[in-house]
Amino acid sequence: MKITFPHMGNVYFAAKALFDDLGVEYVIPPLTSKGSLEIGSLHSGEEICLPFKIMIGNYMQAIEQGADTVLITGSCGPCRFGEYCELQMNLLNNLGHNLDFIVIDSPGDIGVKELIRRLGKISTGSEYNRLQKFKALLNAVKVVNLIDEVEAKARYLAGFEANRGQCKKILIECKQEAIKCNSGKSMIEILNHYLDKLNQVPIDQRKEPIKIAIIGEIYTVIEPFSNLYIEDKLMDYGISTKRMLTPSWWLKNLVLSPMNMNQLDIKKKSKEYLPMMIGGHARECIGEAVLAYEEGFDGAIQIFPMGCMPEIVSKAILPKISKDKDFPIMTLVVDEMTGEAGYVTRIEAFVDLLERRKDNVLSRC
Amino acid sequence: MFLAYFLQTGQEYFNVANLYKEVFMKVGIPKGLLYENYQPFFHTFFEELGAELIVSPDTNKDILDKGVKYCVDEACLPVKVFHGHVASIKDKCDLIVIPRIMQLRKREFICPKFCGLPEMVISSIPEMPDTTLEPIYAASNEKLFQWAKVTGKQVTNNRSRIQKAFEAAVENQANHKMGFDDRDTKLKVALSGHPYNIYDNYLNMNLIRKLKKLGVGVVTEEFIDDEIKDRETSKLYKKPFWSFARNNYAFTSHAASKGIVNGIIYISSFACGIDSVVIDLVQHNIGDFPLLVLKIDEHTGEAGLDTRIEAFVDMLERRSS
Repeated sequence: MKITFPHMGNVYFAAKALFDDLGVEYVIPPLTSKGSLEIGSLHSGEEICLPFKIMIGNYMQAIEQGADTVLITGSCGPCRFGEYCELQMNLLNNLGHNLDFIVIDSPGDIGVKELIRRLGKISTGSEYNRLQKFKALLNAVKVVNLIDEVEAKARYLAGFEANRGQCKKILIECKQEAIKCNSGKSMIEILNHYLDKLNQVPIDQRKEPIKIAIIGEIYTVIEPFSNLYIEDKLMDYGISTKRMLTPSWWLKNLVLSPMNMNQLDIKKKSKEYLPMMIGGHARECIGEAVLAYEEGFDGAIQIFPMGCMPEIVSKAILPKISKDKDFPIMTLVVDEMTGEAGYVTRIEAFVDLLERRKDNVLSRC
Repeated sequence: MFLAYFLQTGQEYFNVANLYKEVFMKVGIPKGLLYENYQPFFHTFFEELGAELIVSPDTNKDILDKGVKYCVDEACLPVKVFHGHVASIKDKCDLIVIPRIMQLRKREFICPKFCGLPEMVISSIPEMPDTTLEPIYAASNEKLFQWAKVTGKQVTNNRSRIQKAFEAAVENQANHKMGFDDRDTKLKVALSGHPYNIYDNYLNMNLIRKLKKLGVGVVTEEFIDDEIKDRETSKLYKKPFWSFARNNYAFTSHAASKGIVNGIIYISSFACGIDSVVIDLVQHNIGDFPLLVLKIDEHTGEAGLDTRIEAFVDMLERRSS
């Protein structure tokens, strides 16, 4: 059994740590690229959303490297993501690939027993005992928390750094080093090392950079390819960015949600505009926009794939927040046809607007 | 103390605003989305509460234009049309009913846009009157009454009246029958899709009339019962969690496998998230059984639609003879 999984931002670091520690065979699909998207959109239905197409591309490239089992999470919310597993199984079957799918669904819909059976399936190839398996899981959680922390810190400091480009360099180096590790423990050491390095980056105290919050649909904000590396672009412009939705946030949210203790601040902030959970991450998007305003950000950029149902609702509400609070929010809709030049022009125009609002057009110099 | 209590309740009774509310309340009901399905419920409920009903006209060009103007660009056609219906009556009433339908069956949902519908409308259309905001969980009558309690209060303060109105509304709704069942015609198609696409004759350009003119009978999903639906959907790896996905999948699957119809017409609005999944599942399930997917959006040209229907019917005729 060779397990593979679809890419989603930094998840592959944690997955590598987990499978290494469990001693399970696995394939990490090549990082998402134009090639994977092309394969994906060739085989997928026309109107299905972008994440689906990219995931199919990931699977196909992993199959080439010998993967035969796919691990994905499911959901039974009103968003389309919950139906992915069924459609993808049919699709890959039609293409003649007989893959085993392990779908991690909420126990409310499939029953606790079934969930434990499916989780057990992941580690069938492992020779270690339960304690070691549990330790592997803990290490993986630590890794995902650390890598998200490193990334968030580098993105935020990018606006303040004294030597332009230093944070980006550290971030790239960190990812290159971390993926070379062969166990969860060594990966944690590396990540901690780079976190220290980021803490020592010289800061220019006089700088007042533009700060932008990245909000929107969880997959397209986390997976850098799908949003055409918007965070890297903003980093190059010397802009601080913040994004709340990360794999580690998702994990924390998942653990806390049965107790109703998750994202208390988001619930509070979004109450005025969208008091309900409507599926996907629409309420988070609204709450983050309000939070970003209150935290003194200069603007927010919403990103979602074409046709995403929950985000269309939040797109309808965001102009009202923007008007009420005098807070610029731009929406970018991405799909497989998104042209990079037009996309970059819009981002640049938005940044120009923010600069002028600040009466400080030299903020990035 | 007694006097104070008396004064307080007295005030409530003689509050001019309340009095106005009870006598002259005008409640607007937009004829969009699931209006056709739940029309008796909403009509009876608000009529029994003593409100004057203002119902928007059938969908027409003007309503569609208004909807396109106000609604967010990415939304699907039915949601845009709903915005148009609201805009057409918003100046004539004190309260607009925007049903936030969360659930029709246990552990099932409808499209996320339904859950956020009041917010979408309020944020998009300027100068809106009061709207209903309470979510509708229609899985059981007790849960549904929760909606009636809160919404009824926006019209009247009389609790027993709300209770009575609710009971009458539920009873009327139970007698509501819809759907087509022309199983005895020679050539017939299963018409599948969301109810608001099937029953809005402006959006689907009189599809049903066109089919009947060509001598084709129409069968809709209402005639198969829950047991068959459960049986059909249990074949899937994962139970569909949208009510309409379940209905349409089970209906097409049953109709195709039992040979009840000659072909399937699936009418779907452009960029509908649920249909993009269901059509995929249906295609995979029925194999090479005839299926015509009609996409509708605000630009649909009628001639192109006619040609596609005629070609499909021709094909069915040739297959059956």
